[in-house]
Amino acid sequence: MMVNLYPLKELKLPIVAECINPDIFQGKKPAEIEKLEVWEGNKQKKLGELFKAEIAETEDASENTVVVIHGDISRVKRIGAGMKNGEIIIKGDAGMHLGEEMKGGKIAVYGNVLGWAGSMMKGGTIEIHGNAGDYLGAPYRGSTEGMKGGKIIVHGNVGREAGAHMHKGIVKIYGCAGQFAGFRMHGGTIYVQKDCEARTGACMVEGTIVVSGRIESVMPSFTIEGVKKKVKIEEGEVVETPFYLFLGDLTENGRGKLYVAKDKNPHLSHYEKYL
Amino acid sequence: MPVVKAVTCPVCGSLCDDIELTIENGRIVKVKNGCAMCEAKFLGYCCEHRVLKPMIRKDGELVKTSLKEAIRRAAEILAEANYPVLYGWSNTSCEATSVGIELAEEVGGVIDNTSVVCHGPSILSIQDVGIPSCTLGQIRHRADLIVYWGSNPWSAHPRHIERYTSFSEGRFEKSAWRGYVTKIKALVGRKKIQSAIKRLVLKKPSQISTHLEPTFVSPIMRKGRKLIVIDVRRTKTAEMADFFVQVEPNKDYELLQAFRALIRDQELAVDKVAGVPVEYLEDVADAMVSCDFGALFFGLGLTMSGAKLRNIDAALSLVRDLNMRTKFIIMPMRGHFNVTGANTVSTWQTGYPYAVDFSLGYPRYNPGETSVVDVLLRKESDAALIVASDPVSNFPHKAAEHLAENPLIVIDPHMNVTAQMADVLIPSAFVGIEAAGTAYRMDHVPIPLKKVVNPPRGILPDEEILRRILAEIRKIKKKQEAA
Amino acid sequence: MELLIRNGFVYDPVNGVNGEKMDIAIKNGKIVEKVNERRAKKIDASGMVVMPGGVDIHSHIAGGKVNSGRLLRPEDHFKDFERKTVTTRSGVGYSIPSTFTTGYRYARMGWTTVMDPAMPPLEAKHTHEELSDTPIIDKASYPLLGDWWFVLEYLKNGQIEECARHVAWMITATKGYAIKLVNPGGLEAWGFGRNVNSIDDPVPNFGITPREIIRGLCKVNKLLNLPHTIHVHTNNLGKPGNYVTALETMECVEDLADGDKPVIHITHCQFCAFKGDDWRTFESGAEEIANYVNAHSHVTMDMGQVIFTDTTTMTADGPFQYILYTLSGNKWVNHDVETETSAGIVPFHYRRKSFVHATQWSIALELALLIKDPWKILMTTDHPNGGPFIAYPRIIAWLMSRKAREATLKKINPKARSRSLLPSIDRELSFYEIAIVTRAGQAKALGLKNKGHLGVGADADIAIYGFNPEEMEPSKKYKAVRRAFKRAAYTIKGGQVVVKDGEVLKHMDGATMWLDVQLCEPCEIELNEDMKRRFKEYWTVGYENYPVTEDYLAVSHPITVKADV
Ligand code: SF4
Ligand SMILES: [Zn+2]
Ligand SMILES: [Zn+2]
Repeated sequence: MMVNLYPLKELKLPIVAECINPDIFQGKKPAEIEKLEVWEGNKQKKLGELFKAEIAETEDASENTVVVIHGDISRVKRIGAGMKNGEIIIKGDAGMHLGEEMKGGKIAVYGNVLGWAGSMMKGGTIEIHGNAGDYLGAPYRGSTEGMKGGKIIVHGNVGREAGAHMHKGIVKIYGCAGQFAGFRMHGGTIYVQKDCEARTGACMVEGTIVVSGRIESVMPSFTIEGVKKKVKIEEGEVVETPFYLFLGDLTENGRGKLYVAKDKNPHLSHYEKYL
Repeated sequence: MPVVKAVTCPVCGSLCDDIELTIENGRIVKVKNGCAMCEAKFLGYCCEHRVLKPMIRKDGELVKTSLKEAIRRAAEILAEANYPVLYGWSNTSCEATSVGIELAEEVGGVIDNTSVVCHGPSILSIQDVGIPSCTLGQIRHRADLIVYWGSNPWSAHPRHIERYTSFSEGRFEKSAWRGYVTKIKALVGRKKIQSAIKRLVLKKPSQISTHLEPTFVSPIMRKGRKLIVIDVRRTKTAEMADFFVQVEPNKDYELLQAFRALIRDQELAVDKVAGVPVEYLEDVADAMVSCDFGALFFGLGLTMSGAKLRNIDAALSLVRDLNMRTKFIIMPMRGHFNVTGANTVSTWQTGYPYAVDFSLGYPRYNPGETSVVDVLLRKESDAALIVASDPVSNFPHKAAEHLAENPLIVIDPHMNVTAQMADVLIPSAFVGIEAAGTAYRMDHVPIPLKKVVNPPRGILPDEEILRRILAEIRKIKKKQEAA
Repeated sequence: MELLIRNGFVYDPVNGVNGEKMDIAIKNGKIVEKVNERRAKKIDASGMVVMPGGVDIHSHIAGGKVNSGRLLRPEDHFKDFERKTVTTRSGVGYSIPSTFTTGYRYARMGWTTVMDPAMPPLEAKHTHEELSDTPIIDKASYPLLGDWWFVLEYLKNGQIEECARHVAWMITATKGYAIKLVNPGGLEAWGFGRNVNSIDDPVPNFGITPREIIRGLCKVNKLLNLPHTIHVHTNNLGKPGNYVTALETMECVEDLADGDKPVIHITHCQFCAFKGDDWRTFESGAEEIANYVNAHSHVTMDMGQVIFTDTTTMTADGPFQYILYTLSGNKWVNHDVETETSAGIVPFHYRRKSFVHATQWSIALELALLIKDPWKILMTTDHPNGGPFIAYPRIIAWLMSRKAREATLKKINPKARSRSLLPSIDRELSFYEIAIVTRAGQAKALGLKNKGHLGVGADADIAIYGFNPEEMEPSKKYKAVRRAFKRAAYTIKGGQVVVKDGEVLKHMDGATMWLDVQLCEPCEIELNEDMKRRFKEYWTVGYENYPVTEDYLAVSHPITVKADV
């Protein structure tokens, strides 16, 4: 089943719409979908007051429910929160907390996404073709329960603290990353293809961060371990260029691995004297 | 002439409660014990920028109106709003904030206080790490090592050092005042001593001369109360320090993490951190672990630069780790006199210290999402109530712009920049001078604020104005329901 | 307003009423002999259990420490919220609920009186501001006095009466209700990061021992004729082997008892009933404690039951909280208060599968079941230290039903299970006994004359639970017991119906009770020059700004106490 959602107006107020979720849409008629509850600002509304829902039966008879949203929904928060199955395709920008606590299924965004995408994610895949905001995959305030599984792919840039408190899973960023990527990381993998701002991997305990571009600086509480010829990101993805390998963060007695491409970072060559 | 004793100073987070005011004909004519900022407030609050009449915008102009009409208009704006913001609260009483929260809940708005642009980020890190802290008297009695990091109390909290830290006298630690005078003597000529003493006695920071030479005479290991200042520039507080560490701008995080590694006896694979040679850092780290009781105060210089909130994460972690070796505490230097109170009331009523969003009918909190500056930057709000604050002059330009576009209600004693943009402007009494209430000191000690003189005729305290707006909103809602 | 509760099974242990079917009449907020049957509003309680409103002798619901806990843990409450309704305020819950939610959640379970057990005097205004914002329930708070420099100095010099006068001043100045001691001496030591290790370990810089502090304040308590005893959180709390300290603490005031009147309350006793040399050899010391309590009458205590959940520990015991931080690695708040006390906060998750946590769970129940006299052991979780108070219905079920205990035992750590004394205990508390451990005994220990019973003249605080003891056996239908206590059919506070079927009907203020301690000769502490001097030296807040004025209390309920000094 495929559900198309079209915004009925330019959305100005913040909207909370965790009902936009294939698990919830599954088996429902358009009229039923339009009756689902959302919040627009401080007023409770029906989804149908903001979106028009249309169902297009797909040819392949697979059970997967696919939700396609057409237009800019950067004001809409919590889309696909907690989803387990199915697929959401957003043809436009998406709002905060996209796929928060997601357990399975797939979200694809052909646009930019605001903060906390994939926050506390446990499974499934989020692919963002534009940029992502701050706290990608990071937990809620005060919590240490970061990403426990799943995969996030961002083709553009990301903000601060991507993958903070991550325990498991993988975050691939094909653009640049803001500061504190992998902050207090406990496991899993973060790959940044382009440049990284400072404090990458600060307070990390375990896990792997790979930076193929230029890194602003390496924390003084990391030690250099050696130079590696190549690094494997995941099954089928290997970056074949020499990397410095740093270990840290000493302040947390950490054994996290920070790989930084050697060629792109001549300012780190002074570390070689310790090798 | 009547003298009122034990008045609490409603200026900075030090909340000195020993001020003596002389009142003549219903006006404050003399201030005793206060610093220059305190004097300026008590003597100058009744200045010409005072608003004396409620105003309302008509055809683009602010015109005088009755209080009743202003309150009715304010209530209408808030009752109609789909996503109003209610901001300010740090320069008023806890009692007023409490009504503000009820109001925010009633209208389904976002209530936020000024900590969002000061120590809010520090709170976010406290929520990750915790905070080993204490009341200020504990420091006065026990601390033999004081560190000010990114904070210049000499200018911003003028009596902090004298009342609570280096120059205060406690049960187990003596004042370092004498030592400071001796040091000055050794450094500069007689004239400068006098000006220095004047500074202490008269507390006129403006008269301070500025060319003390840097000293690295390692006074760091001596016995007795010591003062370390860490900052990007040599502030006035730094001049009196036993040890000054000049950190490269925006590199505090690296420096803090280096300290954390050093106190764990880890070797650093670099010679310099944040522009400071590692040997110096080792000395400072030694001083930290070998003191009996250390206290680290940090200011906005740390919270707002470079790694921002994560600077505080590192500072909190450093102090927490130091407790493996000795006793150490840490405290933010809160600016506005009751910003701590605003956080405190908000926390007990809603569970969250600031940036509380009631739009879904219950408190939600996620700074970055529910914080007023971010709400304004995303242009989400459609009405605003500002109490005892001037966001238009200190928010980012884009945020201020959207704020001014909203129907705007301002409750303030002064005609500040925000007030000039108001659609409804309701003048209020000065809390702590013309109205009583409670404020919380930076160390969370609640202290009563006194009403020492009457406000100008017809002018009410924030708390009362807010109550009336709330009552009016409920009336409007009842009517709507009936209709 | 008149109200008549008809035909309920009434449990009123103070008046010896054990499940008899009878009516309760209420007029003007008090229980009366009878009311005008035609005029009175009637509540049909047939087939239901009627008890006095619940009383909680020890629950951290307000003040600086509790609030720091709230601030520290957005992740604790962001999923447990309460929406605003026409009658009630919104809030958040879980382990440290916001104030409005605290009041509502207690009321929903039929509790109407709650004591906040740890108020730092310097921050007493904060505690009272929060208590005033805690709706429906009546409440009071205990100032922390065991490490107050005045107390240490006077007791050191043997000046008991002088000490008593200052304690009296302090209780009244802070609008407090009882003398609270937490790790006496240890908190002063913690000012420099140290601790004391036994009741005879001298306090650094003060030359006094915990034993002398405990005995001194016990004598002070008697001199002042305070309604409650000293309320003691023992030294060495949370350390293996500390049941010895608990026994020593009780023994050390044995000779101060007169008659059967208790002179000491050992709070959250589970946390000081640990046997063993370290965490590996850790075991229950409940039997030893119970044997002692069964043989003595000068002690009351409360359980400090552990619940398997995520919670937030918070006590004035700074050094204990630091140990908890080092054990758990969780975030840690410390807050020492000048010349008075300290506080610490650490989030904590009690896990069924942890040997230590499961043993702790067992210890509290063993205490409650092995101590024969229910008036001596009261039900608490030391909210939120052992778990949030909303877990009370579960504890009631464990106390009333062996089957309920077995169901949990099955799921806990096997080593803890094999060492637990619970399988050997058959005792199942009756509703009558439950009424003692959750209200009557609590009110009696607190010396609250008008609470905890349904006799004529008592406050009309009443809970009605939907459980028919004639038709169901609580020991078999323990889940029904749990459900009944979770959502009271009715809660009546001061004669007003505030909860019906577990829903809060109205937001109203409860009273704050405090002791107005009157000395024989009205002493001039207030104006005393020496006091002013010491104020300047000891505190950073002026003498004039220190006391809590009555306007900090939404509804002030002073209780006059005539002292012997
Ligand atoms: S230090 Fe702050 S509170 Fe104290 S007198 Fe000066 S301005 Fe007022
Ligand atoms: Zn305790
Ligand atoms: Zn307790």
